[in-house]
Amino acid sequence: MKPPPFDYVRAHTVDDALEALTAEDAKVLAGGQSLVPLLAMRLARPAVLVDVNPLPLTGIEVVDGEVRIGALVRHADLAATTASPLLAEAAALVGHPAIRNRGTIGGSLAHADPVAELPCALLALGGSVVAAGRAGTRTIAADDLFEGFLVTTLAPDELLVEVRVPVRDHVGFAEWAPRCGDFAVVAVAVVLEPDGAVRAAASGVANRPVDISDAFADRDERAVRAAVTRACAGDDDKAELAGLLAVRALAQAAA
Amino acid sequence: MIGARVRRKEDARFLTGQGRYLADHATPGLCHVAIVRSPLAHAGIRSIDVTAARAHAIAVVTHADLEAAGARPMSHLLSLPGIQPLSWGVLASDTVRFVGEPIVAVVAASREAAEDAAELVEIDYEPLIPVVDPFVALAPDAPLLYPEWGSNVFFTMATPMDRVDAALADAPHVLTERITHHRIAGLPLEGHGAQASVDAATGGLTVLASNQQPHQLRTVIAEVCGLTEADVRVIAPDMGGGFGNKQHFTREECLVALLARITGQVVRWTQDRTESLTASMHSREQVHDVTVGYDDTGKVLAYKVQVTANVGNPVLYFSGIGPALVTVGSLSGGYDFGALGFDLRCVATTTCPIGAYRGFGQPQAHVTSERVLDMIAERLGLDPADVRRRNFLPDAPRPYIAPGGARIDVGSLAPHLDQLLDECDYAGWRERQAAMRSEGRHVGIGLSTLVQGTAPTQYGVAGRFGSWEAASVSVLPDGTVTVFVGTKSQGQSHETVFAQIAASVFGVPIERIVVKDGDTAALPYGMGSWGSRSAVMGGGAVLTACTRVREKMDLIATHMGGNPTFEQVAEEVWWHAHRLPHHLEPGLTTTAVYTPGNTIPVPDVNGHLNFDETFGTHMTCVVAEVDGETGDVEILDAVLVSDCGVVINPMVVEGQHQGAFAQGLGAVLLEEIRYDDQGQPLTATLLDYTPPLASDVPALRIVHRETPSGTAGGFRGMAEAGIIAAPAAIAGAVADALAPLGVRITSTRLHPHHLRELLRAART
Repeated sequence: MKPPPFDYVRAHTVDDALEALTAEDAKVLAGGQSLVPLLAMRLARPAVLVDVNPLPLTGIEVVDGEVRIGALVRHADLAATTASPLLAEAAALVGHPAIRNRGTIGGSLAHADPVAELPCALLALGGSVVAAGRAGTRTIAADDLFEGFLVTTLAPDELLVEVRVPVRDHVGFAEWAPRCGDFAVVAVAVVLEPDGAVRAAASGVANRPVDISDAFADRDERAVRAAVTRACAGDDDKAELAGLLAVRALAQAAA
Repeated sequence: MIGARVRRKEDARFLTGQGRYLADHATPGLCHVAIVRSPLAHAGIRSIDVTAARAHAIAVVTHADLEAAGARPMSHLLSLPGIQPLSWGVLASDTVRFVGEPIVAVVAASREAAEDAAELVEIDYEPLIPVVDPFVALAPDAPLLYPEWGSNVFFTMATPMDRVDAALADAPHVLTERITHHRIAGLPLEGHGAQASVDAATGGLTVLASNQQPHQLRTVIAEVCGLTEADVRVIAPDMGGGFGNKQHFTREECLVALLARITGQVVRWTQDRTESLTASMHSREQVHDVTVGYDDTGKVLAYKVQVTANVGNPVLYFSGIGPALVTVGSLSGGYDFGALGFDLRCVATTTCPIGAYRGFGQPQAHVTSERVLDMIAERLGLDPADVRRRNFLPDAPRPYIAPGGARIDVGSLAPHLDQLLDECDYAGWRERQAAMRSEGRHVGIGLSTLVQGTAPTQYGVAGRFGSWEAASVSVLPDGTVTVFVGTKSQGQSHETVFAQIAASVFGVPIERIVVKDGDTAALPYGMGSWGSRSAVMGGGAVLTACTRVREKMDLIATHMGGNPTFEQVAEEVWWHAHRLPHHLEPGLTTTAVYTPGNTIPVPDVNGHLNFDETFGTHMTCVVAEVDGETGDVEILDAVLVSDCGVVINPMVVEGQHQGAFAQGLGAVLLEEIRYDDQGQPLTATLLDYTPPLASDVPALRIVHRETPSGTAGGFRGMAEAGIIAAPAAIAGAVADALAPLGVRITSTRLHPHHLRELLRAART
């Protein structure tokens, strides 16, 4: 660990954090599982690190048919929840135990790695995030959150404070990674909606997770595989993996 | 005691976090080094501006500063015909030839501060055209790394071809194939590092270094610093792996010694992971163009291989030449391949130097021979086990003198193979394979029948390496025994196995024996640990020294009369020396330098060379299933029948085999060092370079055979067998699994994404 010099602010309230984030080149430090390696390799050079770990954003609750998850919920805790089986399954596939003990759902979504599990699952669920700013809070739908490689529509002085997803029990998540705990090369999340529709997303096939729900119009295994492969066209290997994983995730959701 | 499953003496400290690795040697006033490295694969250096950096550091040092301080250049020290002359500075001066080549060293109070100051160094580069692929480097219009060579060929060597060409012309069948061996890295958990200080009173230089050959590092540091060997003490503390990577004597180790002399401070550099993956050394990359003549029974009559080895920018002591020479020296392994011919080209490219990694050059030779035998079996419709049997060396004479002069001293090979086929239930697996195939599963069986050269001399391939080892053994007045050896443990089990040898000679409990290594002040010289040599050479030296002391104790005991105890004899010889017979010296201490004396490092009157003191036989069967969709390879069974002569500690041998198998599996299923076409490394972190995890490695079933060698103690080396065997056996299993789908395996790249590509190509 030999990071470039930075200032460090430990925020005890959301307002403290928002105030600190007004500084130039400020960066939120939550679980640190992506940011700290980037610092160690001097690939990230924030002027100020705003440590939000003291904030009380650690709850998981179901309110009016909606699951509300504090941004600082660790992957290990998310993996153990029964409130959202898809997020639980996706969280269990993030890294290794040491990473899951520290990494947070808010951090993963705000980092927006195009191969990460949780952005893919959020998109398939049609969830949203709550962003706090000095002018108040706003809700950003998953569809509108992920903009590109490591880029979201969160403003630099906003803080992701909560994640909201609908309660869904018929879900599937399938990924392929070279080793247990690696970033997935491709992952597919599938959600069966109460009205019978399918919502689905794929990660690893573009610079952000992509909605592939349309590829499930015909539920026949071969049709899904071909349609998803087409929907993920670009890199042959990844597109074919997406088709294969879509079939597996759909079977899991329908089981 | 020899042959017993003794628990490792060193584990108490390793497993409780009490090991003292290089970076655990904190010293007041310790300074840290950061190194400015080339961001370009090939460039001229127009100018270096260190003004701003110097304001924030204890010292900022360039090649010019090192020269001013008396530093001398490093060189490959190979006096082989066909090699280009090459020497290089500890830091690059006018040209850089790979991403990561060191240019400026910064010394500061912490590594962070040194890195901060390093960012202030300004270097003006003149970009030159990189060359990454060895075949591109061989093209007539290729950019040249060293224009004075006239090409990028660093070294060539070839046998006469008339015999092999005639045998090929007469052979009933001829197979030609290109087999590629991809680039990987050895990756010890603890990277390279060194810490140096100068004793103000004596001017003596002490260097702590994570190095497998501390004595030879002392020689190199003395040369580069312009000191005598007596001025320099090298200590290699506990090591977190070496795997051959730490067999080299690096620019950085010499740099740290020079920086201590320049600054007068205690100076330390430890390699970070990106440095270890991009700027240390890589291994294996070769292409083999094979032409093989064989008859209807699968007997090979002629074996001709053109080896093209990418050696990177070969600014490394003995560099990629050493492994490539071992490849061409071990092409036929334990087989009689009739007429043999090879043509070796070592090609320089603007990539990280190629160097040693466990197995050295043998994995490439072995993968190629095993692939070729499997292909012959497939073409003739024969069982691959039978084709191997037909090509084994005859049972007599021993040693068998191979065509090039290798003196192969192994036991009979056919019974060894029979035992393997029995242990792995080969016939049963063939039946199960047929049944599983009918269910649409892709299951294959791969064989590796390895005869491994061990305890080699490197005099011929690296210069200044003697085929001997030293040990100093003393029985102290209280009856404890100290053993200093010139081998250097990197985590093997030397403190245990050498203690077992000493305990068995002296007939005392193993707790009485203390084994130490890694200090040039303790022994005049030693050769370190590499090449599966420590049991044979270090063990031989310990056995010889202990036996000498024991014989003296026996004489004294007889002289004393009345069956004195071990302790009574020890006390007698130190404290009551006046009572000894006049012809006996007081004291119980000796230093033995042992050699089995079997190697021929330079051609003898018959033109024969023999690099290895003795050979081991290790036969492996791997059963693997390939997922036809994802390309994932699952090992269903893996069995190794191992003959390393007299086994000192079966548990240690099994641990070595299992670990080496894991590395061999990683090499073919998971790992690859990659560059883009501009020579930029694409595998600079452990996110991209992916060695196997515990969950990726199956348990290897290990069965021992014991055919004693003629060396002292009857030991044979074995530590590299698993990493040589695993790639060949796994490649064979994968090839067998996918053959019905029309997939052919001609590369060591068996990573899932490569297999998916082959499966896709076979479908269309």
